[in-house]
Amino acid sequence: MNRRLYGALGLSALTAMLVALYMVFVWVPTEADQGIVQRIFYFHVPCAWVAFASFGLVAIAGIFYLWMGTQIWDDLGYAAVEIGMLFCTLVLITGSLWAKPIWGTWWTWDSRLTTTFVLWLMYGGYLMLRTIADDTEQIARFAAVIGIVAALDVPVVIVSVRLWRTIHPAVLVTRQGGHGLEDPRMVVTLLVSLAAFTLLFAWLLLLRFSELRMRTRLATLARDIALARFRAGAA
Amino acid sequence: MNAFLAILRKDLILELRGGRSTTALVSLALLVLVVLTFALERTAGGGPATGAGALWIALVFAGMLGATRVMVAEQENGCLRALLLSPVDRAILYAAKLTASATFMIAAAVAATIMAMLFFNLEFSDSLATLGIALILGALGFSALATLLAAISIRARGGELLLPLLIVPIFVPALIAGVKVSAAALSGAPLAAAREWVGILVAFDVLFIAAGYLLFEHVVGEE
Repeated sequence: MNRRLYGALGLSALTAMLVALYMVFVWVPTEADQGIVQRIFYFHVPCAWVAFASFGLVAIAGIFYLWMGTQIWDDLGYAAVEIGMLFCTLVLITGSLWAKPIWGTWWTWDSRLTTTFVLWLMYGGYLMLRTIADDTEQIARFAAVIGIVAALDVPVVIVSVRLWRTIHPAVLVTRQGGHGLEDPRMVVTLLVSLAAFTLLFAWLLLLRFSELRMRTRLATLARDIALARFRAGAA
Repeated sequence: MNAFLAILRKDLILELRGGRSTTALVSLALLVLVVLTFALERTAGGGPATGAGALWIALVFAGMLGATRVMVAEQENGCLRALLLSPVDRAILYAAKLTASATFMIAAAVAATIMAMLFFNLEFSDSLATLGIALILGALGFSALATLLAAISIRARGGELLLPLLIVPIFVPALIAGVKVSAAALSGAPLAAAREWVGILVAFDVLFIAAGYLLFEHVVGEE
């Protein structure tokens, strides 16, 4: 059943991604002020959405792991943090590519850039804890705690960095109430792209999650076999 | 409350007799300031902004080394296990450890402030109280985070390597706010001018002290 599910998910993610690519490169009109570079926006925003959704999932998985103590939540958190880091990196790269022609610089300490970068550093630390340390129940607990602490920090980071400085265009909601996307086709393209990335996210998550589940099962089996052998030897 | 005071008293007595944490913290803060003086070539003759920045760099470095000492010291000789076996709530243990660590950090901050004033030609202005508030809140927030994460790092493999990587990114908002308040204070602005930033520092402290208080039992665990 699992195999069929991620077969279907993978296929729909692929289809949606192809449609989104067609829309981004061919269908959607070019933005008047920024020109062709603006098209990266249709990938940049979905990447950010996937990254934030993953980091949110890490915190939720952490809470449930500490609460219930079942391995399944730890596996979910681990899978989510890896995907989150991947897409957070993509957000930073696509943002940089866009910023060079538009702002005239690859990087600037604007509030959203800084926030995203700080998130990247935080979850990078989390991922390093998981990769350097052994894969034990203790590390799972530590990771859950750090996942929760990092999520708690996010609102404080956002507020402080926004107060610090900002020049990032507020595309989706501006204070004037407009959203900056004049042509309705732009909105449609963004929505399709968001859907495509969400499917991709679900597919990747399921894939990595099932792999981690299998690893857990394998470890349990290996332990059981070793135990059985030991008992047989003793008897 | 008795348990809290007992653990705190133990840590303070240990420190007064041996004095390892504070000495190390103060020395490191001092060295960081010296390095910064050379590295920055006394940019624009020091000034409040540079001074405030230098002060907080010193504080963060000292904190990374020293704020974890109170946990590391317990790990050596298996004292942590004895503490966990004693009928004390883990949250109380956290509160005591946090208080001890914040005390050492504030001591280092006082020494670093005096040195920074000398090295960076800063004025002893009327708003020294504002600077004090920023440093105390900063030290408290850092210790809240460091005590929780140190409990992790002393028991994870490669933990001492990971600790700065975990603490510093999470500490960023408090760092920004702390530098802002300090710079305002050193340039003689009243506390009201940096009200929002003090608010962020307070929010950070409340959030992470609460988080540490609730989560500490999960990181010290059942051994």
